[in-house]
Amino acid sequence: MNRTLFYLALAGIAVVLQTALLPPFLQGDYKPDLVLLLVVYLGLQEDRWRGGLLVYLMGWLFDGVGGAFPGLYGFVLLTIFLVVRGIVSRVNTESSALLLLLVMAGTVLQAALVSFALDFFRQDVSVLSQIAWQLPIQLLLNFVAGYFFLKLTVWLQRTFLPRSKLPGLRKLDSRYET
Amino acid sequence: MWEWWQKNRPLMLCAVLLLMALLWYSVNLRQQDETNFLEGVVLRLTGPVQAGLSQVISGAADIWSHYLYLIDTEKENRALVENNRKLSAMLAENDEVRLENERLRRLLEFKEAQEIATLPARVIAEDATSWFRTVTIDKGAEQGVVEGMPVVVAEGVVGRVVRSSPRFARVLLVTDASSAVASLLQGNRARGICRGKGERLVFDFVLRQEEVKAGDRVVTSGMGGVFPKGLVVGEVTSVDRQKFGLFQAVEVIPAVDFSHLEEVLVLLRRPQ
Repeated sequence: MNRTLFYLALAGIAVVLQTALLPPFLQGDYKPDLVLLLVVYLGLQEDRWRGGLLVYLMGWLFDGVGGAFPGLYGFVLLTIFLVVRGIVSRVNTESSALLLLLVMAGTVLQAALVSFALDFFRQDVSVLSQIAWQLPIQLLLNFVAGYFFLKLTVWLQRTFLPRSKLPGLRKLDSRYET
Repeated sequence: MWEWWQKNRPLMLCAVLLLMALLWYSVNLRQQDETNFLEGVVLRLTGPVQAGLSQVISGAADIWSHYLYLIDTEKENRALVENNRKLSAMLAENDEVRLENERLRRLLEFKEAQEIATLPARVIAEDATSWFRTVTIDKGAEQGVVEGMPVVVAEGVVGRVVRSSPRFARVLLVTDASSAVASLLQGNRARGICRGKGERLVFDFVLRQEEVKAGDRVVTSGMGGVFPKGLVVGEVTSVDRQKFGLFQAVEVIPAVDFSHLEEVLVLLRRPQ
């Protein structure tokens, strides 16, 4: 329960960062997708059912502050989570670079799913060309955000909680990589 | 059959889960124009934090742009810089007040020119995604803001309210892909629909035989039932009249600079 609340709080912080804190410092309408980062991380760490429910809730939280299509991000984020969950047994989850790779792949998948969900279910709304145009910059932004997330999280743990075990952080720490 | 089910159960359950999520999204598209319970809760929870952060950031950004770049100047100029800083601070403060004053004055003039009751609001947050274009404002149902109300500034149309909680509301900008505004060309009165396309708009369904040229002003036609007639939407930037087809492709640049949107006016009229 504590872990669930912790992740939900993290998602809340990510949402506030994306909507209010980062936009004044970034050009145009681009912003790093921190919630996606969290979803990929959960895909690597959490089990299918608990993580799935959590991610679906995060999707609803995201829908409350992004776009105007309730349930869209619930579906999109849940799909990304389940895809990550599906491949997690086939890859080396001890590698911190994997998170970055999955964030990039998740960005592309997210763009494809949003396009599909809108173009297929709402014929009057077409976002495909707009998303395709914006995708390279979004990929770059998410990569940079993922890199800093990795560095910052490990640094925070080493500095403030050197002896405690935060969920999954050990796998992200390069000291434990083989 | 049982063996097959046991073997593929996780996969099938995942597929069912995804289908349910997709179905729920599809069902919600029908009630898209209303704020549901969860969205209301999210707006209520995030709104105050966003409003607080917005205040802090505008202050910090002001400090950043007006003070911090002076810190690394030469030592011998420090005293001078110190004076300069104080003066810059005063100037910056004055500038900010003057600019705000100008913006509010324009809004006030515009407000007085409107026959419909208006409510000024401050933009406190942007959309969480890069794909959609919405903003959150610091006025909600308690102040009479409900879904469907048009939002404008002195320069032109901003968008319409799509979600409303007691103290905050979300506005769908005209540049969003799901936005459509019934419009017409001010010059020759050719009708069409302005759809959002990221930073620009596309003026759809303008007949091929209509004379359209770059620089033509596009205004709301009042036909959609959301925006009153005659509000500026933007200006035509390019026209592509192909050899075949009923319509021509017209691109429009919005009249409003959405990257510098700070104060807006909500027109307190319910959609017809």
